[in-house]
Amino acid sequence: MIGTPVLRLSEVGKGFHGTTVLDGVSLDVPQGQFVALVGPSGAGKSTLLRLVNGMHLPDSGTVRTLGENPAACSRSRLRALRARVGFVFQQFGLVGRLSALENVLMGSLATLRLPRYGVMSYPRALRIRAVEHLDRVGLADRRFQRCDTLSGGQQQRVAVARTLLQSPELILADEPVASLDPAASTLVLDILKRISAEDGISVVCSLHQVELALATADRIVALRGGRLVLDEPAAGLTAERLREIYDTAGARDG
Amino acid sequence: MVSTTPATRAPAAADPGPLRPPWSARALIAAGLLVAAVAVTWLTFWWIGLSPASLAAGLDDTVRLLRRMWPPDLPGAGDVASMIAETLLIAVAGTGLAALASVPLAFVAARTHKGPRWLRPPARVVVVLTRAVPTLAFAILFVRIFGLGPLAGALAVAVHSVGMIAKLLTDAVEETDPVPAEAARACGAGEVQVAVSTVLPRVFPALTGIVLYRLDINIRASAVLGVVGAGGIGVALQTALGSLNYHRAAGIICVIVVLVLLLELLSVVVRRTVLRPTAHRRTAALPAGRARHDVGWDRGRVLRVAGAVATGAVFLVSLWSLDPDPGRLSGAWPNLRAVLSGMWPPAFSGELLMAVLESLLMALGAAAAGAACGLVLALLTAVNTTPWRPLSAVVRVLLVVVRGIPDLVYALLFVAALGLGPYAGFLALWISSTALAAKFFADSLEQLDPLPHEALTSVGARQWQAFAAGIWPQFVPSFTGNGLFVADLALRESVVLGIAGAGGVGYLMQESIATLRYDTTAAIVIAIAVVVYAIETLARIARRHLL
Repeated sequence: MIGTPVLRLSEVGKGFHGTTVLDGVSLDVPQGQFVALVGPSGAGKSTLLRLVNGMHLPDSGTVRTLGENPAACSRSRLRALRARVGFVFQQFGLVGRLSALENVLMGSLATLRLPRYGVMSYPRALRIRAVEHLDRVGLADRRFQRCDTLSGGQQQRVAVARTLLQSPELILADEPVASLDPAASTLVLDILKRISAEDGISVVCSLHQVELALATADRIVALRGGRLVLDEPAAGLTAERLREIYDTAGARDG
Repeated sequence: MVSTTPATRAPAAADPGPLRPPWSARALIAAGLLVAAVAVTWLTFWWIGLSPASLAAGLDDTVRLLRRMWPPDLPGAGDVASMIAETLLIAVAGTGLAALASVPLAFVAARTHKGPRWLRPPARVVVVLTRAVPTLAFAILFVRIFGLGPLAGALAVAVHSVGMIAKLLTDAVEETDPVPAEAARACGAGEVQVAVSTVLPRVFPALTGIVLYRLDINIRASAVLGVVGAGGIGVALQTALGSLNYHRAAGIICVIVVLVLLLELLSVVVRRTVLRPTAHRRTAALPAGRARHDVGWDRGRVLRVAGAVATGAVFLVSLWSLDPDPGRLSGAWPNLRAVLSGMWPPAFSGELLMAVLESLLMALGAAAAGAACGLVLALLTAVNTTPWRPLSAVVRVLLVVVRGIPDLVYALLFVAALGLGPYAGFLALWISSTALAAKFFADSLEQLDPLPHEALTSVGARQWQAFAAGIWPQFVPSFTGNGLFVADLALRESVVLGIAGAGGVGYLMQESIATLRYDTTAAIVIAIAVVVYAIETLARIARRHLL
């Protein structure tokens, strides 16, 4: 499980319009580890994830993702890096009018040259792989169904399949289950967990629900007010201790 | 819906199953529309003889005309003011009359209407007919009946506006929650009472919005009514062009453009203030010292009443300015009888059908070409697709100016430059369709969900790929819908461009009225209504299946 870190943040700081969002955060994530990032809203979880794939750039400190520094990358190099990092959004980021299969196929765009439109514009080999990934998230039979007719949980599974088609070395998930019901949440997190375990992919997943984080992750990292306040293996933690972070945060920041 | 567990793996590795999506009706309709657009454009180009060489020659002629128009010669300030005032009053009177007529019509035409059933079909027919026949077509007829001047213009504006206002108001009425109406009925209220006390208050904001929007359109329309002698600033334009006084014509066009641009500015400001949520609502607590049954006068009520009184006063002044003295109105009666009795039976002819076909081709070809050019301009202007912000601002301003000039003015100019015929009409429609399409497309591009684009960027897609996969598929329905709407508008315009001699059925219509061949007029009006309604219905069906 433990190898060279796929992700290393050193003393990273980031602010928007004069408000500090992240303040001196350091974090190493080794290969194959499932890290749950917890903390109240506004703690800086989303910003941290976006620093990792270069959608934001740090104001101070350094980010090294899969051995690259996103801040120092050229445009094409950043694209290549992003292709190696999967990103799962809270609101899925699917094109609702297109089929599940086509949305999954979009995960391969970085490996293709021209703009694509329509399932048939993608190579057959990619279509076969896309169906396999849809099968892996249990939705192969829905491949030609429009995404806006799928349930929330199904849509998020399509988004996970799209990420899988990138053959990612690291998956970032930004509140992937925050808009889902409990059953769908468990299912999506199980899928992510299984992928992490079977393929040895590191996952950094921000979560709201303490119980889900404890049940899924190998390691819990908690943020509060832009600072890292807890970093421990999930095994030794209790829900009560984790919840304290939310409560004290509410008392102090509110 | 989380029924399939991911653990149950189908033998995917061996047989991945179908990899080609089944053909859907949506794809077929989309492909059909595209093929039809290309075919119609090609047919139009062939019909009017458009080629790179003829375009270059046309450009030459147009530049020569513009040189002859320079410098513009403005009429005196007093003349300008009175022409503008007449134009505005025509629009206000027409819109006001239309609004008054539309309210009962919309209530009767609504599906939720519970009164006498037989009233609905005729109400619907009136709505469809008045909307399908353009203002200028009505203006030609009314000039014949009521004589030259703003009265004919205002009535033409009113009759055509009834169609749109009543249609939109009908939709608003049908969308209101039916429960309050049922509650009022349960109290024993009659249908008129139900409509006035429960439905009208709820559609009033919508009605205000629709009427203001229509007023905006009508002021633009009133600016060119004078071309057929129905009053307003267009009379001066027609006189100047007719006497080949191009400097004066250019001056009047400048006045029209400035007027329309000011209006655009005003409507943006009004929309912002109206749409902004009011900061303080009336509190539930009653002010002290007021009788319990007394509504009292607070600031909001004073403003509302003052606004209503001012609106009513302006409307009455505008009616009075039309000079509707009884002698004139009764003089119109025999004319009306002659026109109506002369209309039966409608006289269709091959010539007429060819002219209608020419209008149709001009409109569809111009709309298709305009949609293509407009798409490029929209991609340059929309904030989420523009390659360079300053360019976006420049194109935006340019588009507002281009849209500010009425189609008929373009047609008059192209006819003066290139001579009579559909070529001039096509160019006029092409320009206006391009500007309209660019605006519609840019607006809807900016409303798209940005998340798929962001998701694809995080996948490592190139800019073009992220556009093609993340933005374009979302944009297809509004592209089609707005494109069809542009075609619809172009068609309504194309049937009147003939008045300027720019091809199509408009010329025949004007001629038939001038020569008192009202049976031909009737046939033309019927043909226009049928074609416009057919295109609108096709557009509606296509939109429904594509969304």
